[in-house]
Amino acid sequence: MRTARKTLTAVAAVAIGGLVLAGCTSGGDDGGNGDADGGSGGGETLQILVLKHPLTGPMADMDWVSQLEELADVTIEWEEVSADWDQKKSTMLAAGDIPDLVVGVNAITDSDLVTFNGLFEDLGDDLDALPNVQGMFEAVPETEVMATQPDGAVFSLPSYRRFWPQTATRQYINQQWLDNLGLEMPTTWDELFDVLKAFKDEDANGNGDANDEIPMDWSPTGTGGFGFFQPSAFLGSLGLPITGGGGSGYFVEDGEVGNFFTDERYRDLVEFLHDCYAEGLISQEVMTQDYSAYQSVGRGNGDDATVGFSWGWTASDRFGAQLAPQYAATAPMAAPGADAADVVWSYDNYSLNYGPNSITMSAQTDARDAALRVIDAFYDQDISVQVLWGDIGPNIEETGDNAYTVLPPTDANSDPSTWKWTTTLADNGPMWIRDDIDVVLPADLQEANDQAEPLADALANVDPVADVFPAEFFSLSAEDSSTVSLNNTNFLAIAMQNWATWVTEGGADAGWDDYVAQLEAAGVPQNVEIYQGYYDEYVASLG
Amino acid sequence: MTLIDPAPVKMSRRAKTSTGASVPPRRGLRRHIRRYWQLWVMAAPAIAFVAVFSYIPMYGIQLAFREFDFTAGLTGGEWVGLKYFRQFFESPQFWTLMRNTVVISVTTLVVGFIAPIALALLVNQVIGRSRKKFLQTATYLPHFISIVVIVGMLQVFLSPTSGLITRFLEGLGLTGVNFLGDPSAFVPVYVISEVWQHCGWNSIIYLAALASVDTQLYEAAKIDGAGRVSIVRHIDFPALIPTMIVLLILNMGGVLNAGFEKIFLMQNPLNLSVSEVISTYVYKIGILSNQFSYATAIGLFNTAINFVFLVVTNQIAKRVSNTSLW
Amino acid sequence: MLTRLTRLRRRSPGDIAFTVFLGLTCALILFITLYPVYFVMIASISDPTLVATGRVSFWPRGLSSFGYEQIFADTRIWTGYRNTLLYTAAGTALNLLVTLPAAYALSRREFAPRKVLMLFFAFTMFFSGGLIPTYLLYRDLNLLDNWAVFVIPSAVNVYNLIIARAFFEHSLPEEIFEAATIDGANYFQFFLKIAIPLSAAIISVIGLYYLVQHWNDFFTGLVFVRTYDKQPLQIVLRDILISNQAFAGGAGGAGGTGGSYAQQYADQIKYGVIVVSTLPIIALYPFLQRYFEKGVMIGSVKG
Repeated sequence: MRTARKTLTAVAAVAIGGLVLAGCTSGGDDGGNGDADGGSGGGETLQILVLKHPLTGPMADMDWVSQLEELADVTIEWEEVSADWDQKKSTMLAAGDIPDLVVGVNAITDSDLVTFNGLFEDLGDDLDALPNVQGMFEAVPETEVMATQPDGAVFSLPSYRRFWPQTATRQYINQQWLDNLGLEMPTTWDELFDVLKAFKDEDANGNGDANDEIPMDWSPTGTGGFGFFQPSAFLGSLGLPITGGGGSGYFVEDGEVGNFFTDERYRDLVEFLHDCYAEGLISQEVMTQDYSAYQSVGRGNGDDATVGFSWGWTASDRFGAQLAPQYAATAPMAAPGADAADVVWSYDNYSLNYGPNSITMSAQTDARDAALRVIDAFYDQDISVQVLWGDIGPNIEETGDNAYTVLPPTDANSDPSTWKWTTTLADNGPMWIRDDIDVVLPADLQEANDQAEPLADALANVDPVADVFPAEFFSLSAEDSSTVSLNNTNFLAIAMQNWATWVTEGGADAGWDDYVAQLEAAGVPQNVEIYQGYYDEYVASLG
Repeated sequence: MTLIDPAPVKMSRRAKTSTGASVPPRRGLRRHIRRYWQLWVMAAPAIAFVAVFSYIPMYGIQLAFREFDFTAGLTGGEWVGLKYFRQFFESPQFWTLMRNTVVISVTTLVVGFIAPIALALLVNQVIGRSRKKFLQTATYLPHFISIVVIVGMLQVFLSPTSGLITRFLEGLGLTGVNFLGDPSAFVPVYVISEVWQHCGWNSIIYLAALASVDTQLYEAAKIDGAGRVSIVRHIDFPALIPTMIVLLILNMGGVLNAGFEKIFLMQNPLNLSVSEVISTYVYKIGILSNQFSYATAIGLFNTAINFVFLVVTNQIAKRVSNTSLW
Repeated sequence: MLTRLTRLRRRSPGDIAFTVFLGLTCALILFITLYPVYFVMIASISDPTLVATGRVSFWPRGLSSFGYEQIFADTRIWTGYRNTLLYTAAGTALNLLVTLPAAYALSRREFAPRKVLMLFFAFTMFFSGGLIPTYLLYRDLNLLDNWAVFVIPSAVNVYNLIIARAFFEHSLPEEIFEAATIDGANYFQFFLKIAIPLSAAIISVIGLYYLVQHWNDFFTGLVFVRTYDKQPLQIVLRDILISNQAFAGGAGGAGGTGGSYAQQYADQIKYGVIVVSTLPIIALYPFLQRYFEKGVMIGSVKG
């Protein structure tokens, strides 16, 4: 026995020896393993990791990639990632092992930039080598604010897409059902309630079954807060200006940061939704269905629509091409007692038209100049257009100087947005779409812009500075970032549970005070305070 | 020749005393090596692999007690002691997380332990080779369905309006249960689907154990006029006991492991009060926001509890049976 | 054969009840395990909108081979298959070579250090240094982006080691060992000539465990491999498969990304991928099953 123990000690000693050695070498020494040897004469090989949408095909199939290589005089080895990036990334960054460039919107997040201090190149002093980027900073100053850290460093560059509408969420009602039942287009919550009730009680789609109509449905809310196409859109009816569909609840109203999860207007919304739910006006599966089920239900059954009222990006995307013509985009509904002039809508301009952190460069690259040339080439006018919509030729027609037409898909089964995502990096790429070029937009974007029309007045009520929570512009310090995310995780668990229970079972009014106390204990006020500081800095930086 | 033979035990006791500490250490070591060097050679590769690939990276555990500081390296961050453990214990979610995790994993553990044994005994009773093989293969298939699809199927089958199972149960008079939303349905749905998926796969090891039962025992039992039930009880079941104990000990070491991916995918705001477990919390806090130290600390807490359970179960098993891990 | 004869001759009421009970239970088990598998198959060729709304139950509806066309249109899948076969074969071979001798050594009750060694192994089932130090270690050992990373670090699975050890300990009759020792066999000889041939059942179980572990391994490729040509099937399939989360996330990130077409693509592939990735493993199982037949062990010694 004793001898055995000795043997084990010997084994352990060897293991510990190895352990100490490994401990010593675990610095973060060699990072970028670009095999080009330092020279700046051109023709180097660069390693670029690109985070693609799962639909996107291989980089080798994109013609603009060879134009990019030619323009920058490099050969690119792509490492293409489209799934489970978070898992792959944290190890890669923590081990200090990144390729020369990382491409993809928020592939590297603000939190990564501060946590992995020193891993990324500060481009602030390289702007002379990046004329296109400099041009973008001058033409679209928001991009510069977005790129710049509080201390002036520029670790990543955003993209600018220009043509997207100001909001992602559009509101739809089935016009054919209204007509079938002889109803007026509702303009207030009360009228909406009556309309939904009629949808429920009568055979609105006229297929002989009075029970297959779902008056209202929305995108699954999940457990991490709100997003696009969800009833948080109704908060605008109460004059509460949200951004990005709601997120973790933070908003800015007249320069004050708040969180709607502890705002009484949110409680009023939940009460209204519960009234609807109790009457059977909301899909009974609204809290449990997954995204596929939600999308499939919206597609109805042949020519018979199933859903009466919902939110979506475009009618064709939400209800399928066959049913889309039945639906009309509507203006926001006024809440009882709220002044129609105060009605606002989710302002998503910054998240739709800007892509934060779309390209980052390794600080340890062996081919600095080549990497800089590639970065700048991405912001070239022709390359930018092609990164977004696909190759000139099959996807885009150049109709003149500074004029482009985005072509419809050559595959008749495909729709324009799928087409774009399958053929190029699309919204995930770095790009600068110039404000002075003419582009005939693809059908999906035209549809989105058209159907946002009824929301224009409500959006005009939003002051882009005083009423918008500009999360895209904040660069949180490592400490703030961890406090904020810890508090968010803790309070959202409580908030989203209450959301679901209150909508389905009621009780928001009675439970409100306790709930607010819980959320405050979980750190909501602390986060609001932190964000207020960053917001004030942001306002000051606008001058 | 019986399986649970008392002979080896006696022999091992004899063996123990013969190599025991009564002999002077030095001579003992030489004698030990001379007698057992072949066993050492056989075990050496496994020891080496584990030492290199499991023990060397263990210095990373200290991250639980340090701030993660990228520039200073893994072992260079500021020492903060138990800060992150305290942060976890003081988290408003702590008791909920512990309760949910234990409820889910213990239920899975108990049901998931018994079911494969029952299935193996049952399959073993099926007469006819091809029928038996078919049953085995059928029960083993679901193991290979990915979690994303399993959860997708649960959504489809359990949908309150169109779900096949919901409609079937309505036919039996069980109405108004929202299996996906009702918090009290979460654990049963999770556990039953888990057992359904892995029962066949987990029974393989028991089938292998049953394959080693001496057929003479069956013949002898039949001559004695034993019925099939009593053959199962007195021959098959005892043959499984050693395997059962080993698996039970190993399972007890997973007392705080509740499968992350499936729970995460099954979460919705209605069931969050019972479905938020340690692993989903760590994911939300650690992976999504670079909280390496915090995530490591929670992970360490988790494994420490698991390990204690393993050690305790192992000690109990050693007392009450002849089987233990060490 | 023998059981059948005895059954015919003597049937007590208890046995009849037992047989009826057995038959019914098996039928029920068959139904509840096979139906969902069948569902995966019909869902992989049905209109996904009908599947998601619960309108596909027993027969495929809205037939389309779209999902499979998309899966097989991707040429990477063949590279993935080749890689996975290679990694699985090499990995499982190494696993058995390392695990079985160690399991046997640890099963010898007279081998006193085994207790400490078991603790040494079991400890690693729980405590690990985490991904970052592992990544750094692999980098120092030159295993990153190297096919050996699929084979070498996972050479021992302690769980399998423990199971194999328990089996050797309890199912190899000690008398055989004693007899062999009297005949002058040493540990090596006994292991190779007696223990291994007597343990076909456990070897196939452990082999199967390892095989499936390698077959399903996608994490290694994800974290430690960069060159796509070296990626295993699971990574390729994961990339072809577009999960729900990718969609919900995509919609959040860019405002309604993929349209109806893309949704269809995702849902059908989800089911098709399962069929494509598991068929080979399923096909293998019946070959292993014969080692689970009663009497294999004793027969091999006495025969």
